[in-house]
Amino acid sequence: MLVLTRKIGERIKIGDDIVVSVLEISKGTVRLGVEAPKRVPIHRHEVYERIQEENVKAAQGEFADLEAAVQLFRKKGLKE
Amino acid sequence: MIIQTRKFGNIDVAEEKVLTMPVGLAGFPGRKRFVLLEREDSRPFCWFQSADDPNLSLVVMNPFLFKPDYRVELKAAIKEMSWEGDPLADMVVYVVLTVNEGGPYRITANLIGPIVINTRKREAVQLVIYDSPYSLQHPVMEQPPPPHQKAVGG
Repeated sequence: MLVLTRKIGERIKIGDDIVVSVLEISKGTVRLGVEAPKRVPIHRHEVYERIQEENVKAAQGEFADLEAAVQLFRKKGLKE
Repeated sequence: MIIQTRKFGNIDVAEEKVLTMPVGLAGFPGRKRFVLLEREDSRPFCWFQSADDPNLSLVVMNPFLFKPDYRVELKAAIKEMSWEGDPLADMVVYVVLTVNEGGPYRITANLIGPIVINTRKREAVQLVIYDSPYSLQHPVMEQPPPPHQKAVGG
């Protein structure tokens, strides 16, 4: 891993078109600004990771109970 | 075109039904083409099926059927996807369901990672909603009423 030291207002350039700026540092928190082209997804890592895990879990579900779930929904009278 | 699926075998799907996910689907790198399979006998549940991997399908549904007050801010998605100017009426929101052991009452929906489909552009994106009150595992079914209890004693 590359480790760089930066001060407030300084920036890091990644590749041709991504710039990360240090905006503010206080009490153990750093605020970063990220400039990147559209369609480069930028996420807070831990939240993205949870979505990733949930997607994988969802894809493994066998949905044997789907029939029962369909019945339950119909009983409640929910219709699209 | 023919799409292979593990659940339904080979299915013939019109080319224009294929949705592209330019930034992909979290957890499944490289999978960018999907189709939404709706079957009369499994409503309101639908399948978000990869057009390139028979084994990759997610069960999705319209979140407003079980959470009418669900709100998704589309601004960021519209910008990221360059959907500016496209009518909101062309955008539909689905949430991914997870089946847990223990029957239909244990089905949960991921409300912080909805899939938004632009039906006109035939593109889709999974949003990540930050700082919201929503859950990654929101129960889809209201819990069953407690079993009828017989009067005891008297």
